[in-house]
Formats: sequence, C-alpha cells, structure tokens
Amino acid sequence: MITFSNVSLVYPHSTKTIIEDLSFSIVEGEMVLVMGATGSGKSSLLRLINGLVPHHTGGILAGDISVDGISTQAVKPGALAHLVGIVAQNPANGFVTDIVEEELAFGMEALNFPPDVMRKRVEEVLDLLSLNPLRHRSIASLSGGEQQRVAIGSALVMHPKILVLDEPTSALDPIAAEEVLSLLHRLVHDLSVTVVIAEHRLERVIQFVDRIIYIEGNGEAAIGSAEEILRRANLVPPIIRLARALNLAEIGTSVREVRRATEGIRQRSFIEQVPEIGNNEIAIEVKALSKNYSEKIALKSISTEIYHGEIVAIMGRNGAGKSSLLHTIVGVALPDKGQVRVFGGDPYLLKGRQRRITIGYVPQEPSDLLYSQSVVSECEQADHDNEIAAGSTFALLNRLVPQISEKTHPNDLSEGQRLALVLSIVLAGNPEVLVLDEPTRGLDYQAKHLFAITLKEYAKKLDRPVLIATHDVELVAELADRVLFLAEGEIVADGSTLDVLLSSPAFAPQVAKVMSPKPWLTVSDVVEALAIEL
Amino acid sequence: MKTRDIFAFHGAAIPALIVTSSISALGFIWPFLLPHEGSRPQWIFALALPFALILLYISVSNQNLDSKSIALLAVLAALIAALRPLGTGAVGIEPMWFLLILSARVFGPSFGFLLGALSMTLSALLTGGLGPWFAYQAFAAAWIGLGVALIPRRVRGWLELLLLAIYGVIAAAFFGFIMDLQFWPWVLGPDTQLSYIPGGAFSENFSRFLSYHMLSAMAWDVPRAIFTATLIVIAGKPILHTLRRAYTRAAFLAPIEFKRATLIAREKAGREVR
Repeated sequence: MITFSNVSLVYPHSTKTIIEDLSFSIVEGEMVLVMGATGSGKSSLLRLINGLVPHHTGGILAGDISVDGISTQAVKPGALAHLVGIVAQNPANGFVTDIVEEELAFGMEALNFPPDVMRKRVEEVLDLLSLNPLRHRSIASLSGGEQQRVAIGSALVMHPKILVLDEPTSALDPIAAEEVLSLLHRLVHDLSVTVVIAEHRLERVIQFVDRIIYIEGNGEAAIGSAEEILRRANLVPPIIRLARALNLAEIGTSVREVRRATEGIRQRSFIEQVPEIGNNEIAIEVKALSKNYSEKIALKSISTEIYHGEIVAIMGRNGAGKSSLLHTIVGVALPDKGQVRVFGGDPYLLKGRQRRITIGYVPQEPSDLLYSQSVVSECEQADHDNEIAAGSTFALLNRLVPQISEKTHPNDLSEGQRLALVLSIVLAGNPEVLVLDEPTRGLDYQAKHLFAITLKEYAKKLDRPVLIATHDVELVAELADRVLFLAEGEIVADGSTLDVLLSSPAFAPQVAKVMSPKPWLTVSDVVEALAIEL
Repeated sequence: MKTRDIFAFHGAAIPALIVTSSISALGFIWPFLLPHEGSRPQWIFALALPFALILLYISVSNQNLDSKSIALLAVLAALIAALRPLGTGAVGIEPMWFLLILSARVFGPSFGFLLGALSMTLSALLTGGLGPWFAYQAFAAAWIGLGVALIPRRVRGWLELLLLAIYGVIAAAFFGFIMDLQFWPWVLGPDTQLSYIPGGAFSENFSRFLSYHMLSAMAWDVPRAIFTATLIVIAGKPILHTLRRAYTRAAFLAPIEFKRATLIAREKAGREVR
C-alpha cells in the first residue's frame, strides 16, 4: 500500500538530513507505529505519505514513495486526498464547522460530492464510530476523546485506504485513549484500512500495532516487528524496561505476556516497605470549593490540604474539573463558593512580583506564556523580571534540554522543548509552589524522565509543594507522592499514589498490571524490592 | 521545481485588474467629467462597480490560487472584517486599516489589493451594510493595499515603521477623500452652496467639493489618520514580525528537488572516499 524506496529528505535552508535512505513497505490493512525521540522527524515521515512534504514545504526528496501505486513525486497532495486521510496532532485546530454532523460532511462538500452520497456516508461513519448520540452536539462541547473520534470520522468519510494519525492519544485520559486505539484496531481488522500512527506513549499503542518504524536521531531508521525493534531501542515503554531489568528471555508487548513470564517473581514474598511519613506542615488549604460555568458544574464542594515538599497528582477524565481546581488554586479564577489559602493568603489577590515568587504556574498550553521572538529574549526577560543574574534562566534551560538554539522562535520549538523553556522561566522566579497543567504532552521517555527529576529535586530539596494535573499514569507512578482523583467535580479518591493507582484498573501503570497484586508501580520499585530480598 | 508563490496578479488577471480599476475610478470621478447638464450616471456606476468587483474575483479564482494563499487571505480578511465594526459609532475610529497596510507590506501589493477588496466585501456582509457604496469601499480599500508598493522593499527597522505610519495617514486621508467624492453628489440635495452642479465647470464643482470634504474630513479623516498611524507605530513591530514569520513558515517558493536514490547513495560513497 505504501512503499518507501531509499527515501532521504532534507528541508530547504537546512543541512540536517531528516530521513536518510529509508526503505520499507506497508501492506494493506497493517497498523504501523512510527516512534522516535521528540523532533526526530516523525511528523515529516507522516507528511511524506500524503505528499505535503515536499510539495507544500519544499525540500530535497531522494528516492521514491509510492502510495497505492501512485508516486508522490508525480502528483500534488490534493490528488492523494481521497486515498490518505490525515488526523493532525491537535484535532481542535483542524475543525472547520461547529456541529459534529457538519464537520463530517465538510470534506465531501469541498470535493463536491452529490448530496445523497454525503448523507449516506455521514450516517455510516456516525454508526461506525458510535458518534450517533453526539451528531447534533457542538464540537466545542465534546471531550477530548470524542473530538478525536470526530476528527478520525471526518477523515474516514472520504473512504481513505490509508489513515495517518499524529499523536492521537497524547491529550487523552487513559480511558479515552483506549477507546480511540481500539477503534483504530477495529478499522484495521474490519475494513482493512492501513493505519500509520506516531505516538510517544508507547505503553498505550504497542499492543495494537503490527510493526514499528523507529527513527533514531541521526536520520537512521529501522523497521520491524514490535519485539525486534523494542529489543534494542532506546525509547521503550515501562513494560520492556521491566523485562530488561529482570533479564527475561522473551520481550512481551502486552501485559498478559509479561505477566506469564514473571509468574515466579510474583510468588516470592518480599518485605513490605513502610512509606516514609512526610512533612505535616500545610502549604495549601482548599475548603468547600465550588465552581460553575453557566450550567456546568466544574467543582463541587472540594476540600483538601497540600503539604510542604509533597508532589500531588490530580487525575481524572477529560472535563472532570482538574483544570478548574488548578485555576482556583493558582488564583486566576475566583471560586463561586469556598476558599483557597496558599500559605495563609488568598491567591486571587496576589499581584505582579509577589505572584511570581509565590506561585509558579505552567498552563496547559505552555506557549500562552511565551510572547517574545526568540528563546534567548524570553530567557533574558525572565532574568530581568526576577532580578537574577543574566543568563541564569538560559543555563537552567540548557540543563533541561541541551541542544536548544538561542535564536529559535518559541513557536518553532518542539512540544518538549517549549515545555522546558516555560518550566525554566517559571522556575527562575523560584516560586514557593509549583502548579503544572498537563505538562507531558508530546514528550518522549527521556524528556519525561528529566522532567520528573527536575520536579522531584524542586519538591524534595526545597521542601515545596508541587501540584500536577495529568493523564500520564506512568509519570504519576514515577513522580507523585499522593493522588487526588476527580470525577464530575468531586474528589472520589485521595490517597498515596500506590493505593489510588492500584485500586483502579484503568489508571494502573503497566508495571502494576504485570506485578499485581504486588504493590509495585515502576520498574525501579521492582528492582529495589528484589535487591532487598537478595 | 518550487512550491507555489504567494498570490500575485499575472497573466490574464492584469488586464482584468486594469479594466475593473478603471471602471471603478470612473465611478468615483464622474462628477467632474460630465460636460453638460443631463441625466446623472451614478446609477450606471452603482450597478457597474459590483460587477467589476465580481469580474475581479472571477479572474483571480481562475488563476488557481494556492491553498496557502487562500488560507492567509481568508484568515487576514476575516480578522480585518471583524476589526472594522469594533469602532462603529466613534468618528473614523476604524482599527482595520493598520492591519491591512501591514499585511500588504509583508505579503506584497497584489495580495494587499485582493485582501482590501475581500475584507471590505466580507465586512459589508457581516455588518449588513450591503448598499451601493460597498463596491466603492471595496475598491478604495483595495487601492490602499496596492499602494503599499510605494514604500521601498528593502527598508527595515524604525524607518520602515515611520514610512508605514506616514502611509497610514495618507491612506486614511485618501479613503476619506474618495468616499466623500462618491457620496457628495447624492448627499446634499440640489440647492445648497456646496451641492454638485450637474454639468458645471470643473473649477466650480471642485471647489465646492473641497469645501464639503474639508467639513467632513475634520470629523472623520483626521481621527482616522491619527488612529491608524498610532496603531502602526505601537503594534507595527510585533505584527510585522508575526506576519513575516508566517510568510517564512508558509514556505512560498521553497525549492523542491526530486533526486534518484542512487544519486544520493553515490554522493554518500564519494563523501566516504574523501
């Protein structure tokens, strides 16, 4: 269906080879994952398939790419539109209309389909993706998973033979991600659609895909079955790291396989570790907090306390009230009822410098905080605002992500680099509390690990609280001391990370699923426990 | 091979541009050209101008606009059209002109011409102000976009902003002037001291018009000019930067090269030998 023969790609005004001498072919009805570090050229590879690269971007393309027998050199991307459906990283950016039904019909309208065909196909897709109950809803009112399904639907109405998706689950909670992936799985198996998908959260996709294309940073690429690639890749999901740590002969990609292989370990008995008791000094106090947005209840009488030196993860489905809770704690939104006290003061009243040194906030869209024209001027501004030595912010940034060019425009940075930049700027103010909203979208495992280390250092060394809203179960397992689980604006679970994550099958990390009923969340937990036993 | 360039008039669209612009220019200046008293031709022009505008749009769309140009045009036209009614009621406070001028500066005069005409048409539709005057306004805005070509291309930095601000003043005055010209024969009735005299001498009519224009200009054009120039000075730098970035990112005229795979392999081998 898709054949790359000796493909190399260089963008104009650049000497860096994005892809070098890549050959592979994908057959009809195959599901292929493209993986690689942040900024390694995954998106470029996806866009080569429908000809947007190089027809839209310019560049030197060597070798030949053929899609369903058509060479992408010979035709413009428009001529492949009926063959290749593409779903971009953030579906909300791609929607044209307001209503689900209209969005599904939009592509066909642009291609001048007859009305009866459009009608029929819209109905088909509504049924196929179980979107029927949502058909008259406004797209803005849908949850992230539902929006992603609509985006996939509007690609599917064109009856493409190939579906290309760029990080389809990065903004989704584990349940919605599962929903989208099993949908793709079904499309592959029932309709024999060929699916090419780029994703960082390998733990979510690995069990669904047939093969993996692994792009290493230097332009080299490899393709093979999941086992082959993961055996030697640098970026691997926790389940593979577990297999490596335990020196298992077979590398399994699903919980079931690894669980079988580790039967023996689970049967041994271990000394239970007693959790350390942390600081008991209250830093943030939330009392009977309620917040409504017109009809919708965002927070329903929430009370909790956050202590010094504690990393608290706030989890829950899309729209459960995580962001609303953070907004009121940070003091950008006023609660309808109840109160928030940060170190005894009302965060809503903080202004200017006082605010910067009290609360450091990284919003969901980190670029909202960036308005300069280059990385270096952004850093200089932060140095100046916080009255610290020139270059400190940039030095901090350099520690987080080493090779960042000073002159790059913040919007040209990769997702992970941009987050690192915002984090450096916020940390430069040396705030008393750190609050982060969904910070790990688009980060690969290494970047995420570095990020976790930085946050831990901040919380433990300085004995300051960190609040983090996230869908990323693996990050929570590695980082958080405590989890607040929200549903429909209420706290439904509040306890140590271990207790909360182990009690919910959907939100349990991979290692916990494999090792259940043992109380281990991460690979290092397992390794430590084994070391003690030995 | 290269990616497509940003929209520019060429080929058959150039005569269309000249013809339609001439028709609309006649539509503005007819009061001075009529040699004798007789029927007023404004009705002809009130019909001819919208047709001229449609002809222009057709000739442009026949050029096979690139999707990137369309996207840029659509977004900027929507922005400008939305900015325009923000100042309604206030005298001449129209926050659209500075953005039109800055966009035309970055994306070129052809683009500016089309953007001016489109955004005026769009804002007429949005605000329901779809009267006989809208085609006049569309052409006036289009010429303002086109006129940015008067500023030398190479100029950058504070001098560029200064020139753009001066152009903003001229454009605001120009818009007031020709819109008055369009309005003047209709507005006053036949018998005032400033009224248009059908078939009258040019000098007589022109001085009457100037007096009329001075009266209205004080109320509308001066605030408009000050407002536009101020916005250009204040917001010009970041907006120019943002638009230029968009221009670079859109990769107009970026080279595309297709090579045989064997060729690169050989180059690579050669590199290794060296």
